[in-house]
Amino acid sequence: MTLRVDEVSLAFGQLQALDGLSLAAEPGRIVGLIGPNGSGKSTLLNVVSGIYAPQSGTVHVGGRRITAFQPDIVATMGVGRTFQVPRLARRLTVFQNMLVGGRGHRGENLWNLFVRIGAVRTDEHSMQERAYAIVRRLGLQDKINELAGQLSGGQQKLLSMGVLLMSDPQILLIDEPAAGVNPVLIEQQIVFLSQLRDEGRTILLIEHNMDMITGLCDDVYVLDGGRVLAYGTPDEVRRDPAVMQSYLGTHERKVAS
Amino acid sequence: MIDFAIYMTTIVCIWAVLAISLNIQFGLTGLVNFGQILPFAIGAYSAGIASFHGLPIWVGVLAGLIMGPLIGFLVIFPTRRMAQDYWALASLGIAEMFRLTMLNFRGIAGGVEGTIVERLSDPRVAMAVSVLALVVSFIVAERISKAPLGRLLRVIREDETLAATLGRNPFRFQVVAMAVAWAMASAVGVLYAHITGFVDHGSFMVIETFIIWTAVIVGGPGRNLGVVVGAIIIQAMSVSTRFVAQWTDLPSDVVANLRLALVGLLLVVMIMYRPEGFLREKKPNYDVKS
Repeated sequence: MTLRVDEVSLAFGQLQALDGLSLAAEPGRIVGLIGPNGSGKSTLLNVVSGIYAPQSGTVHVGGRRITAFQPDIVATMGVGRTFQVPRLARRLTVFQNMLVGGRGHRGENLWNLFVRIGAVRTDEHSMQERAYAIVRRLGLQDKINELAGQLSGGQQKLLSMGVLLMSDPQILLIDEPAAGVNPVLIEQQIVFLSQLRDEGRTILLIEHNMDMITGLCDDVYVLDGGRVLAYGTPDEVRRDPAVMQSYLGTHERKVAS
Repeated sequence: MIDFAIYMTTIVCIWAVLAISLNIQFGLTGLVNFGQILPFAIGAYSAGIASFHGLPIWVGVLAGLIMGPLIGFLVIFPTRRMAQDYWALASLGIAEMFRLTMLNFRGIAGGVEGTIVERLSDPRVAMAVSVLALVVSFIVAERISKAPLGRLLRVIREDETLAATLGRNPFRFQVVAMAVAWAMASAVGVLYAHITGFVDHGSFMVIETFIIWTAVIVGGPGRNLGVVVGAIIIQAMSVSTRFVAQWTDLPSDVVANLRLALVGLLLVVMIMYRPEGFLREKKPNYDVKS
C-alpha cells in the first residue's frame, strides 16, 4: 500500500510543528525521514497513525483517505508503528506483549470465552506459533517469559518491532530504531528491515544514525521547521548544501569537501 | 457458634464478590473506580424500590441485574475522555449522588427510614446462595483473567495508547470489563438486600468503597484468589473487633473507629512493604516448541 501525505499542517499554540508537509512512500521501498530535533518527524508519525488530527491536509493509505481517523482504526487498516521510547506493557512478559500484537483473536470476545471454547483454543495455538516464529527471527526466543520492562533498551526496540509484525502491517512507521542501541542489534535491525522491504511492505523510517539511513533507505526526505527541505536518494541528500547547513552542520561540509 | 459461622461465610462471600468485581476493573483493566459501592447499592435498591412499591420480588432481581451494567455504562460513557485521576473522582461523586438521592427522596425507597425487603428466612439458604454467587463470579473472573481478553485488558491497564496503536479501541474493552464487574456487584447487591431484609442509605457510604479497595490492595491486585483472601482478612478483622468490644466494655463507636484505623494501618503497611499484595499477580509461563 502507498502512503501519501498532502499539505498537512499542525500547530501547537505558536509552534508550527507541521507546515504544509507532503510526502509519499511506495511499497517495497524504505523512505527515510531525517531532520534536526523539532523538525516535525515524530509529529508526522503521530498524524499518520491517528494520535494527532492535522488542522489541514490529508493522509491516504492505498488510495483511502484516513485523515484524523482514530489510532485503532488506522492500525486495523494496515498501518503499524513503533515509538521512539518503546511502548510496551512493561509488567507483562515478552510473549504476552507479542500475543497482543496479533489481531482477530476470538478469545478477546467475552461471548466466545464461555461459548466457543474450542475456537479460542485454536486461535491461541496459531497465535503462539506465529509469535514464536517472529521472536526467533528477532533472537529473543530465550526471553519470552521475562518481563518486557526488564529487557535492555535495544531489546525493547526489537520487541516492539516484533509486536508490530504480529499484526502483519503493510505500512510500517518506525521511529528511531537505532537510538541507544548497541551496534550488534543495529546490524540485526538493518537486516530485518531490509527483509521487510523485500516482502513488499512500505516503510517510513525516522533515524539519526546516518549509516542506517544510507545503508537502508531508497529515498530520503529531510525535514526542517515542519516542511520538506530536501528530497532524493541518500547520496543526493547528503550533498545538498541546504541540508548540510541545517542538519549536518558546517563541520560536516568541510569533511565532505 | 454455627449460626455465627453461617453469617460470617455469607458476609465474606458477598464482599469477596465486590472485591473480584473491583479487581476486574482496577487489577485487570486499570480503571480506578472510587465508587465501587454504587453497583452494589444499585442492586440493593432495585430490590428495595420493587418492594417499596409493592412489586413482586422477581422484578427487583431482574432490575438489579440489568441496572448495574446499564448505569455502569452511563457512568463511563460521558467521562471516558477524562484522565484516570479525574475519572476516579467522578466515580466517587456519582456514587454519592445516588446515595444522597435515595436518602432525600422518600418516594423512591423510603428515604432516610429505608425500606423493608422480603427476607430469606433460612440463613443456610442465604449462605448457599452467597457461596454460589462467589463461585460463579470467581469462575467468570478467572476465565477472563487467564484468557486473551484478560491479556488485552492488562495491556490497556499498562498503556491505553499502545492498545490503540495495536488496533484495539480501549474504550470498548473498558466497557466490557465494567459491564461484567458491575453485573456481579449489583447481583450481590440484590442478594444482600434479601439477606438483611432491609435497605437504607447507611450501607452504601463512601467508606464501604474503601473497605473493598483495601481488600483488593491487601490481597493482590490482578489476582482473583488474592482479592478473595483480602476480603476474608478485612471481614475477619471487622468481626474480631466486635468481639473485642464485648470483652473490653469499650463504647461501640470507639471500637468502630478503631476498626477503621486498623484497616487504614493495614493499607498503609501493605502499600509501603508489599504493594503487590499478599498474592502477587501471576506471570504466565509459556512453553512453546516448534
